[in-house]
Amino acid sequence: MSHEKREAHACAEYWKLSRRGFLGAASGAAATIALPRVAFARGGGTPRPTLVGIFLRGAIDGLSTVVPYGDAGLYTARPNLAVGAPGTTDGAVDLDGYFGLNPNAAALLTPFQANRLAFVHACGSPDPTRSHFDAMRTMETGTPDNPTSTEAAGWLARHLQSVSPSGTGPLRAIAQNDLMPRVLALAPNSLPILDPGNFALAGAPATEASRRAAISDAYARTIEPLRSAASNTLDSISTLEAIDFAGYVPANGAVYPASPFGAVMRNTAALIKAGIDLEVAHYDYGGWDHHNDQGPLTGTLAGMLGDLAAGLEAFYLDMQGMEDRYVLYAKSEFGRRVAENGSAGTDHGSGGIMMVMGNRVQGGQVHGVWPTLDPSQLDNGDVRVETDYRDVVAEILTAGIGGTDLGNVFLGHGTTPLGVVV
Amino acid sequence: MLQQSVGATAPKVDRPAALRDPILALVHRATFGYTTEEHARARSMGFEGWRDEQLAPDAINDSALDAELASFGSLPLTFAQMLSAYPPSSNGDAVVATELRSARILRAVLSRRQLFERVVEFWTDHFNIDGIGSAQLRYLKSVDDREVIRTHALGRFRDLLGASAKSGAMLVYLDNASNVAGAPNENYARELMELHTLGSDGGYSETDVVEVARCLTGWTIRAVGSGAAGTFRFDANTHDDLSKIVLGVPIPPGGGQQDGETVLDLLASHPNTAARIARKMCVFFLDYEPAQTTVDRVAARFLETDGDLRETLREVLSRASFEEIDVWSAKKLRRPMHMALGAVRSTGASVAAAVGLAGELQLMGHAPFTWAAPNGFPDALGAWGTNLLPRWSFASRLTAGGVPGALLPLSSLSQLFAGVPANRRAAQLDRALTGGRMAPADVTELQAFLDAQPTVDVNVAREAVALALSLPSTQWL
Repeated sequence: MSHEKREAHACAEYWKLSRRGFLGAASGAAATIALPRVAFARGGGTPRPTLVGIFLRGAIDGLSTVVPYGDAGLYTARPNLAVGAPGTTDGAVDLDGYFGLNPNAAALLTPFQANRLAFVHACGSPDPTRSHFDAMRTMETGTPDNPTSTEAAGWLARHLQSVSPSGTGPLRAIAQNDLMPRVLALAPNSLPILDPGNFALAGAPATEASRRAAISDAYARTIEPLRSAASNTLDSISTLEAIDFAGYVPANGAVYPASPFGAVMRNTAALIKAGIDLEVAHYDYGGWDHHNDQGPLTGTLAGMLGDLAAGLEAFYLDMQGMEDRYVLYAKSEFGRRVAENGSAGTDHGSGGIMMVMGNRVQGGQVHGVWPTLDPSQLDNGDVRVETDYRDVVAEILTAGIGGTDLGNVFLGHGTTPLGVVV
Repeated sequence: MLQQSVGATAPKVDRPAALRDPILALVHRATFGYTTEEHARARSMGFEGWRDEQLAPDAINDSALDAELASFGSLPLTFAQMLSAYPPSSNGDAVVATELRSARILRAVLSRRQLFERVVEFWTDHFNIDGIGSAQLRYLKSVDDREVIRTHALGRFRDLLGASAKSGAMLVYLDNASNVAGAPNENYARELMELHTLGSDGGYSETDVVEVARCLTGWTIRAVGSGAAGTFRFDANTHDDLSKIVLGVPIPPGGGQQDGETVLDLLASHPNTAARIARKMCVFFLDYEPAQTTVDRVAARFLETDGDLRETLREVLSRASFEEIDVWSAKKLRRPMHMALGAVRSTGASVAAAVGLAGELQLMGHAPFTWAAPNGFPDALGAWGTNLLPRWSFASRLTAGGVPGALLPLSSLSQLFAGVPANRRAAQLDRALTGGRMAPADVTELQAFLDAQPTVDVNVAREAVALALSLPSTQWL
């Protein structure tokens, strides 16, 4: 979709928000923003696969997850933290003769060997910051080469603004979190819903209709994002109540882990199968900032990797045969320092890993240029970013889920074809 | 409270009294929720009189709250004492965390030192620690809350920063406890500059992060086993005693613990720190986009008083700030804890136990001490402004008696509309809950709801209060 087409679709209604207030950012001059709010006719689009986004906040250690055991530099830089080569005690599970999975993440072999799951290594953001919060901000707003940008909308929000809704459902995007993640900031018909299986208006049934009407009227007069959030909320209650989350039975014997992430993936499968025209299911999965006692085999990372892998494997199995209904990605704001620190952990780095699974994904491969861990190849001690996350996302949005206005989503970034999703 | 709102203290007019009333705006901003009593007190004392009273919390008798808190045995204990009295083997860490969370809620609702509780909330986020991240943190955050945040919230910034740097909870949470010479752990050093002082655009480099980390090597905690377990200890054996350069300032070799103290001195007195703290306080207490003149004046006050937080806050809460920012037209969203506990205060609900309220805050994503990342709960419209259903449902459950431990007295509900003409009921509710500053359209909406009911009995009164607490007008600071 061209930029001109998007302009033609923009409606007269504008969101005027305090940029600083909206973002809580501490930089940039005070300014107001005016973003077009999409005004497509409902049901004007075509059904498309649901984009499942997982933000591994805190920066997952790519080198301990998809282990470059074929690179001798790993064992020099990490005498205590490196996962050994396949065949050694607690060694990696081989993927392609050079990279191997942390044994705690071995469950990922199931979709990988079925050629549905791909990894991209040395992947990340061109923003050189090593601050979690700055890196997240520029990654989520899609402005990594303009760190002082005061862009308020997330790139996923701009994607949703760029395309027609895929159906008539009230919810185009959901984040299974308490707070709206910045990547969805200003997204149309989108809500943070921690537990979609428990989304009802409390209070006495006798007055419910009149209370709803009063709330609806009052919020129609207030400011964004409350105004849209109120109407999206009231419109979504009956849609979500019609889905039997509690009684949901996963297909193909899939067993989700008994963890918050397991519940999120299970709910995501239920939402997709319910056919409510959901276009984006997002989850902020925090806790990957392993400066201390990282593992990789028995530390804090190990347990989290097991949860992540089990949740993704169960989702893959549950959705087996329906891979054309979703594309999933998981990534972090950056990777971790190549050298270990003195706390049996790792500090903030640069290049890391990205996982992509589902429709038209060229799975069973570790994609991307590997810069090697030779000290001469490092970026201030970190894995060099060889693949821009935006290029992976671009293929997901185009080949994976059927198209978008990339110029709008990534604000003019010229994408490079990778062949991860074709 | 609802039952006391019908009477001589209620303003005679519906709205105009609330317009550009600095005292009403102050009461809304400096407390955890409007009450007619606090408003009446503030009016009798005057703007400066009430604010200055609140800025001297030690002089305010809070014995009723103290009595409520007396049953929480872990609150006054050291880490070592907690380990003994609340051992992890019997889930003592969970009890300690529950007591701290309950105390936080009760203090916000019941304390007469309302501004102090608000400023404690501010610094708790600024020096955020994941209070449920591990058993060790559940104990240590309780100590940090008492000895760092509550001790220094209105003291000098350098003292607060220093206490935080030596807090067992912070040393563990941001890993400085294992920061050793030769392979420094950068976690605390980075957040010290990015989050606690200068800000990410505050003029430090990646080299400064490493150099500060080196200065802080050996800042650790005493091990379990002694009475001083979990307290700060400088370990000269793991300190990097070579020379460093921080923000261009040479730090000579052999400084030992003084290296870290020098870093804290540099950061606490830096103008970028003053500017950042000033802006953040103005956002917290006033509006998302404070006027630059206000921020500059507050920052200047911070610098000229050597980081005196009481004087800095006095400047934030000044008539000049209110005028410059035009707080009466501000649309700053109260975060869920403020909204929910404010509803408890303004309705006069009694709180026999905080556990039900804690559960509600959990559903809203704002249970105290549960934010995992070091940046603290966000204070931004985009973060909180789309999650409304938990607010509406909370309002209904609170008024219907569905929040365990929190009870809206039947007498106040039955008296709410006593003697009030039918067409003035919504205005009466507005006066009781906000001092009469709801948007006229919201009052009209509320009146239409009441008019549509066949009879206005106690149950309809409950629903009307719930609706009032769900409308946009009651979500703003």
